[in-house]
Amino acid sequence: MFYKLPRFNYYRVTSLNEALKLVNELEDFKVVAGGTDLVMDLKIKRYIPKNIIDISRVKELDYIVDEGDKIRIGALTRLQEIVDSPIIREKAYVLAEAVNQMASWQIRNMATIGGNLCNASPAADTAPPLYVLNAELKLVSVEGERIVPVTKFFHGPRKTELKKNELLAEIIIPVEKDAGASAIKLGRRNAFTLSIVAVATLVKVSDNKFADVRVALNSVAPTPVRAPSVEKALIGKEVSLEAVEEASKLVVNDIKPISDVRASADYRREMSIVLTRDSLLRSLERIGLKLGGEE
Amino acid sequence: MALVEDPYALLEKWLKAREFIVVGKGIERADAFDKAIGKARFVEDYFDKGVLFVKQVLSEEPHAILEGIDYSEALKIPKVVGVFTAQDIPGENQVGYALPDQPLLAEGKVRFHAEPIALVAAEDIDAAFEAVERVKVKYKPLPVILDPLEAMNRTDVLVHEENGSNIAFRTKVRKGNVEEGFAKSDVIVENEYRTHHQDHLYLETEGALAIPDFEGRITVITAAQYPHLAQSIVARVLGIPMSKVKIVIPYLGGGFGGKDDEGPLVAAKAALVAYKTGKPAFLMYTREESLRIHPKREATIIHYKSGATKDGKLMAIEVKIIHDTGAYTNRGPFILWRASVHASGPYYVPHAKVDGYCVYTNKFPQGSFRGFGNPSVQFAAEAQMDELAKKLGMDPVDFRLKNLLRPGQTTITNQLLDHSVGIAEAVEKLAKKMGWWEKRKAFTEYNKRSKRYKRGIGIGVAWHGISTSRGVPDWSNAYIKIDKDGSVTVYTGIMEMGQGSPNSSHRQIVAEVLGAPLDVIKIVFGTTDAPDTGATHASRGTSIGAIGVLVAAAKIRERLNKLAAELLNARPDDIVIANGKVYVRGNESKSMTWQELIKQAYARGVDVSATGYFFLPKGKFDDAKGQGYAYPAYSYVAVAVEVEVDTYTGRVRVLKAYPALAAGRIINPVQVEGQMEGAIAQGLGYVLMEQFVFDEKGRVLNADMTDYVVPTALDVPVVEKPVYVEDLFKYGPFGAKGVGEMALIPVPAAISNAVSHALGIRVTRLPLTPENVYFMIKKK
Repeated sequence: MFYKLPRFNYYRVTSLNEALKLVNELEDFKVVAGGTDLVMDLKIKRYIPKNIIDISRVKELDYIVDEGDKIRIGALTRLQEIVDSPIIREKAYVLAEAVNQMASWQIRNMATIGGNLCNASPAADTAPPLYVLNAELKLVSVEGERIVPVTKFFHGPRKTELKKNELLAEIIIPVEKDAGASAIKLGRRNAFTLSIVAVATLVKVSDNKFADVRVALNSVAPTPVRAPSVEKALIGKEVSLEAVEEASKLVVNDIKPISDVRASADYRREMSIVLTRDSLLRSLERIGLKLGGEE
Repeated sequence: MALVEDPYALLEKWLKAREFIVVGKGIERADAFDKAIGKARFVEDYFDKGVLFVKQVLSEEPHAILEGIDYSEALKIPKVVGVFTAQDIPGENQVGYALPDQPLLAEGKVRFHAEPIALVAAEDIDAAFEAVERVKVKYKPLPVILDPLEAMNRTDVLVHEENGSNIAFRTKVRKGNVEEGFAKSDVIVENEYRTHHQDHLYLETEGALAIPDFEGRITVITAAQYPHLAQSIVARVLGIPMSKVKIVIPYLGGGFGGKDDEGPLVAAKAALVAYKTGKPAFLMYTREESLRIHPKREATIIHYKSGATKDGKLMAIEVKIIHDTGAYTNRGPFILWRASVHASGPYYVPHAKVDGYCVYTNKFPQGSFRGFGNPSVQFAAEAQMDELAKKLGMDPVDFRLKNLLRPGQTTITNQLLDHSVGIAEAVEKLAKKMGWWEKRKAFTEYNKRSKRYKRGIGIGVAWHGISTSRGVPDWSNAYIKIDKDGSVTVYTGIMEMGQGSPNSSHRQIVAEVLGAPLDVIKIVFGTTDAPDTGATHASRGTSIGAIGVLVAAAKIRERLNKLAAELLNARPDDIVIANGKVYVRGNESKSMTWQELIKQAYARGVDVSATGYFFLPKGKFDDAKGQGYAYPAYSYVAVAVEVEVDTYTGRVRVLKAYPALAAGRIINPVQVEGQMEGAIAQGLGYVLMEQFVFDEKGRVLNADMTDYVVPTALDVPVVEKPVYVEDLFKYGPFGAKGVGEMALIPVPAAISNAVSHALGIRVTRLPLTPENVYFMIKKK
């Protein structure tokens, strides 16, 4: 209650067009969706914007649509809606699984998936599952729209692909058939905490060989990352516990963790290996391949 | 027949009661409904328009000479009413509790980062924030000293020059001859233990609203734990008599000791502004300020050596305790004293040598926190017990049972414990109930098969002296009046911070002793309008704190029995008053109502008001010899836990906790269970996740709830119903000894012993974060 926010002009819009016009015209602004990150950042003066554009009432960006081979999620969809959505749970379960490990029920009812991405925290927990799902993002502006892969969206902490006059409108997820996927997060407690490391993996297997492997992590680099070293090492290999364990060790080639108040770089490195292994084994288990490793 | 008014006789009389109307039952507390629907008011709820908003200017240096404070720019802001520094304090700027080393507002130098320097008062919040930023403080930085071991050995950098050393205070306990004790020992264990700070993280931060009133008094509505202490500190700072200060402590959103330290200070700051401006003034710490400013649980280094004979008898302990007291001693000497005399754990030890050092550094001060110096030293003592048992090839519980204190034995200060020592019975009952020996074996077997997940079971046994230590005076009091309609008002200085003493146990005690119906009893708590009752700390709210309530009620009851005997034509001893009905024992047809009896009291000249002053008899402690009387009695507690460690990640899960308590009479079992569960959750947070991270200048890097991590509901294990041994204490109300701190004290010991069992590695350092546990395993 007794905090001070910087002074700013406050604009509230109810349509995407209004919002796009404003971001095109205004200088020095921040966009507020759920506000669960931004309001904190304003309090601690990470940002002192002249203008705030509140898009939380743009209802047209709040949807989850099943189009058969793909799912479209409006950027203003609340995190809890993703957890509860039968569409996501059936066709992109790994996203629901990761989001369910984020924050608390109260915050998930405020925070949006677009907000989590645009905030561009290295610890963004929606990123690893979207990375392994090969999701794409629809960025729009008064000039039109463009589609970018989610893996190209993050440029650094708090920095994104968005141009000054662009907004993230939609997340497009191709529906994977015959894939196993899972997301695991290690935090400092069992809920409501930032990741020390979070990992998502997706695997496809044919003739007992890895046909496709995707591994993504957060909190171990300036942006969420894919782990191509692990992926390359496994694709084409026989499925075995040894192969998973050996490949998981290569994840350290794909990350650049730092030490901070949450964990040391060393611990993050070691945990990246363990979580990659655990997640790969769980993903395999979800397509009926139980390799053990939990003894 | 003369009426009994002697408090000792009345306490003894009610101690003998064997049948109860409401005591010992899970009576719903009086504030449950108001708190559930949000009607209960806390300090912040009294803030309103027209009240000055106060903000603090905090030091940006951890150790520096204050060369000047320029607030001229701040005063230029419209709506800023004033800026106040140490210079503006009309009375004394000295608020140290144990030693006179702490200013309310920094003077001459600053000794920790975020030490309060000035107060800014404004007509609105925004102006106050802006003004704080415009206050320019000129510092001349001094070398910073953060490590207590380094601080002890250096005199070139002094946190307090006037002290001539960074060692602020020492303690000493001596019994027998430790050289002889170790010579007679067949096994010896020696280790160094380290524990860390902990924040109270109460939901409600520190706050106070000071209102100058029309009678020339200042009324302060404040979040403190002892109204009369806040009253005396405010009076001292303002330089006015205590009679001109009234303190009201409304409902508090948690205290845990933190508001016993900081409460009087926040009251004094708000009062200073109100006094200087003549206007109501409100100060509330933000979470970040609370985390940076108020005193924390002690961080310690404990060197511990102990020896035992091959048949499992403890022979000697030699302990060196170092407390990092930070910039000010605050209550550090008392905390160190308590740690020192509890250093053995609740065991009989013939030879003991304990030395304690309270050391200044440039960090936030050490302060009162549930357990008060005891969780850290019991952690060390109980680790030693497990290691001795291991060397002896004995089960940890069997080894403890051979050594636990029993009535007729002496403590390490050579104090004879003549009664109320139920711990051996409690531990035995607990171990049988939970199947300790079977589980210990089963887990050891499980670990041989399981590669990744390891299970452990551990126990922590602890004791905690009741009341203030040594001969330090302690007393209780209360004032009770009964109005003409039979309704009862009780005034006590004991306050309500969630623990429930006034609204559950005090109400029950009054209903039990008077026989009045529960619903006509109103407790007015936390006010200086009540006689000085002592603090609501040291687990004393329902023990020492409730004696006054019992004695006052008992005095009135004696008079009412005499009156009822006359009216019902019976002997006073045969009068029964229960649930509002007055009758003759064995002849219930001779009866009247409670209301009728009170009406008659008013008509016939019987005084239905009383105070319940009680002074606790105590012995003496000889500081030079390190021997003597320490506490009137001890509460005892044991907690056993089951854990599972993921050796791949270092994550520790506490699966289940089993508490046992020997704290005398259980007045309200539901409240006690709440205390045990809360204490276990808070203890678990301390052991598994909570910690402060400092930079090289002593700045706290995680002064927010994003990165100061406490447990959520998903981290807390199932807590089994406690095992009770009601080892009545002769100076407790109905024999109650006190509960609030108990279950937390053995939690660090219990969890770390369980983790040590799981991993086969001795834990000597807290916290057991996943990272620390992971690297502990890896090092092995």
